[in-house]
Amino acid sequence: MAKDIEISTAEAQFIVGALKERYRLDGRSFDEFREVKIKFGNEYGDVMVEMGETKVHVRISCQVTQPYEDRPFEGLFLISTESTPMAGPQFENGTNTSGDEVLISRIIEKAIRRSGALDVEGLCIVAGSKCWAVRANVHFLNCDGGFIDASCIAVIAGLMHFKKPDITVHGEKVIVHPLDEREPVPLGILHIPICVTFSFFNPQDTEENIKGESNQEIAIIDATLKEELLRDGVLTVTLNKNREVVQVSKAGGLPMDALQLMECCHKAYSIIERITDQIINQIKEDYKEREKYKALLSSENARDAS
Amino acid sequence: MSRLEIYSPEGLRLDGRRWNELRKFDASINTHAHLSDGSSYLEQGNNKIFTLVKGPREPSQRSQLDQSKATLNVTVNITRFSKFERSKASHKNERRTLEIQTSLVRTFEKNLMLQNYPRTVIDIEIHVLQQDGGLVGSLINGITLACIDAGIAMYDYISGVSVGLYDTVPLLDINSLEENAMSCATLGVVGKTEKLSLLLVEDKIPLDRLENVLAIGIAGAHRIRDLMDQELRRHAQKRIANSSKK
Amino acid sequence: MLRLIVPGDKLDIDLTKNVSLGPGVYCDPRTQIIQPVNAGIENIQVGKRGQIVHIDYDSKRYVPAVGDFVVGIITGAFADSYRVSLASFSSPVSLSYMAFPNASKKNRPTLKIGDLVYARVCTAEKELEAEIECVDSTTGQSSGFGLLEGGMVMDVSLKFARNLLFDEKFPLLRLLSQHCKFEIAIGVNGKIWIKTEDTKDTLACYKSILDCAKHPVNEHASILKRNFKALLNAIE
Repeated sequence: MAKDIEISTAEAQFIVGALKERYRLDGRSFDEFREVKIKFGNEYGDVMVEMGETKVHVRISCQVTQPYEDRPFEGLFLISTESTPMAGPQFENGTNTSGDEVLISRIIEKAIRRSGALDVEGLCIVAGSKCWAVRANVHFLNCDGGFIDASCIAVIAGLMHFKKPDITVHGEKVIVHPLDEREPVPLGILHIPICVTFSFFNPQDTEENIKGESNQEIAIIDATLKEELLRDGVLTVTLNKNREVVQVSKAGGLPMDALQLMECCHKAYSIIERITDQIINQIKEDYKEREKYKALLSSENARDAS
Repeated sequence: MSRLEIYSPEGLRLDGRRWNELRKFDASINTHAHLSDGSSYLEQGNNKIFTLVKGPREPSQRSQLDQSKATLNVTVNITRFSKFERSKASHKNERRTLEIQTSLVRTFEKNLMLQNYPRTVIDIEIHVLQQDGGLVGSLINGITLACIDAGIAMYDYISGVSVGLYDTVPLLDINSLEENAMSCATLGVVGKTEKLSLLLVEDKIPLDRLENVLAIGIAGAHRIRDLMDQELRRHAQKRIANSSKK
Repeated sequence: MLRLIVPGDKLDIDLTKNVSLGPGVYCDPRTQIIQPVNAGIENIQVGKRGQIVHIDYDSKRYVPAVGDFVVGIITGAFADSYRVSLASFSSPVSLSYMAFPNASKKNRPTLKIGDLVYARVCTAEKELEAEIECVDSTTGQSSGFGLLEGGMVMDVSLKFARNLLFDEKFPLLRLLSQHCKFEIAIGVNGKIWIKTEDTKDTLACYKSILDCAKHPVNEHASILKRNFKALLNAIE
């Protein structure tokens, strides 16, 4: 375990005290998600997501490989989330077995891979012998809280943006056409899961939290790093626009009333609706920008038309 | 694979239960009196779990020492023979196991009064001899029983149960066949309250059905709490009877 | 005239006269060549006893130097001293139990882990752990050092903290005082502690100071106005 960021008692008391008066350090209200900035790189499937100071970069890549023996009709899909000291001095190289880091990677895995957001059957080329392996590499570039939310947005936006090379199959032989030869094809995305993280604070003592009826616990959305360091409990909800709960993870922490948790899920829905629309629109705009000169550069062959 | 009828039109499940029935719940405590400070053996359906609590004891490494409270460690040993087919690789360093361990630590950290035992460690060791769905819930029950046996101060029971959602019918305390066939949620409920310490949903559930699932889960968890309470009281009676004989 | 200087540049000094070296300037003991080792603004003062040269450079990590005023967090307590952190991920410094006013073997200070202290660096050998003290050793008085109760602490760049503490003309503190009453402790280790009577004011000060650290001086007044106004509106 790497060294921790030190937070003084005065600071902790002030932050929790301000929350009791319904103020947050950065001036947001309790259920306000930070503005999400999504930028696409030159290549397909190269995405940078920024939420406040948090910065996550995702690169999607693919290669032809052999499918698993027990699943001959499915391609491979891997998400690798490795936090390095690049994200902040509290992270260490190579030791990704601490509680938080395992939870982060498991939640992203459940939200996107397990929920079947990517159509893996569409990655099959020749059943049992050849398929695409799609890989999402998540790089955490700066940490100011909300890693799960940011990387989930980045991975799904990357998958939606990514295009794999076109192929031609002749029996067992497969030709992979380079990107400049033939227009690449997008991946099959079945639904768009978005994560929203709630952080819980207990303004009273533990006895009141467990035995009391008052349910005064504070729930805030999209905590910053300092709020994350001080929180008593955390809930990550993953939803999609079809009003489906894809994944919920509240791994211990402050006990919360079931109704309050339900309320959180409903609040999250309006947020994911907005973010889903934002991703779709930005990808559309990016494609439009790429195809700006398409009409100028293309030429039609008269013989083809007949 | 033949299509199994998970939930028959008559309202019966694969193992003959109705939607709101728990599996057989059989628990005993103080099973390993010499080996550990607190222990329990739990059979929840076909889940068979040993839980050993060692501590509060002196930490073996200085890094585990916390001036203000006890350090809690949970190790889950899922044996290779615990499932129908023997698994080739050990489950020890699987991410799923690590995730379960972290979740359990965080669940009990807030419920055990660790601040009463500064500068010590409490090790919880779990051996899963057999598993048949709803594992995390059973682990929670096992730890609660073993911690009470060990005499570690805690605020309340935590009882765990998993609930599946088959189409529109929530099914309480699902087994592995049901777990594979539908989406499910695992709950860790504090005592007789409606407060959730742990909530894990791993597959798609319609948002509007979630409330229903939670309600059934909480009711089921309260029932499990009562069953655990019964066993503890029965055990305590026996001990009192033994000690008064002398 | 402000002159930017980088390592390798020639310093604008008269070598025939006496020169005193400050931070950012190094004299090679063998060749006796004086050269800048940090990038920043060259600062030369010519006085009666010769020239004083130092480079005013900005950095993020604090290295203790004798006489600096610092804000630290108590991270550990030992038999005769506290361990104090001046910045996350830096080596800790020690604060002896005897470095408090009226300290004696019997009369121990009562700081707890996590408390904030305002102190002065008293020894800083690069081979040893630095030491800080909460007492003015010439008078034996507390002189404003000691426990910082309540309030809020923030991290800024070292240059900004130095400006705030030493530059009389730096307008931020005066501007802040027009908006609210506050207590402040500025550590040259880049930690600023501030306390007001009201959470809202503290919050406004906190945001204003952090925002001002990123913007030029002439924008400070408007930043302050905006932040205080935003919080006033938030009440309704």
